[in-house]
Amino acid sequence: MGADIRVTVRLFASLREAAGTGRLDLNVPAATTVGALWSHLPEGVRDHGLPEGLRYALNHEWTLPGAPLRDGDEVALVLPVSGG
Amino acid sequence: MIALLDTPIDHTALMAAVADPEHGGLATFLGLTRRESDERAVTALRYEAYDELALSELTAIASEAEAAYGARVAVVHRRGEVAVGEASVAVAASARHRPAAFAACRYVIDELKVRAPIWKQTVHADGGTTWIDGCASGDPAHAHAHGSAPHA
Repeated sequence: MGADIRVTVRLFASLREAAGTGRLDLNVPAATTVGALWSHLPEGVRDHGLPEGLRYALNHEWTLPGAPLRDGDEVALVLPVSGG
Repeated sequence: MIALLDTPIDHTALMAAVADPEHGGLATFLGLTRRESDERAVTALRYEAYDELALSELTAIASEAEAAYGARVAVVHRRGEVAVGEASVAVAASARHRPAAFAACRYVIDELKVRAPIWKQTVHADGGTTWIDGCASGDPAHAHAHGSAPHA
């Protein structure tokens, strides 16, 4: 288990409500990618199905699903936006 | 002035923020909560933002408009509940002449709507709520309403 890293996942809107929190700390294997985090989320969130149009931010900047994670990273799951 | 606000928008302060003696045109846009969405009565919209990225995205959009149109830009967006008739978003842009002021203002609101990580939830008069975020919600009759947001 020494190879695990700890990352924080930020959730908003429907995903936040499904998780019951806007911030989850997860232990995942080292070098897990941003896009692979979905499979580590609680069942109540995954029940939603991977949302169409989901984008990702890594440490507050846009990133792509293939980006590898490091210990202490923060990933945001960004649903299709509707501000304005 | 670029901000996410929990209190009503001060439109006058927004205009003052872009005032410039070299600028003869000042355009503003306000997005307001409309009282109906998909033929269903609405009492309010609730906004949630991913604050860090929303602010950096708004800053980037404003800088792009300023560079492209020689404008000065201010943009603010509400968080939390915004009642019918209240503004959820406001943009002010000044430039030497009106075409650039209008163009900069429009650029900012159009880009904000596709790029800023901010979401709205419709609060219906019957007490139901619907997130406008591309997810099927707990309100199946009106789930997934992207593109039919109740204003602007």
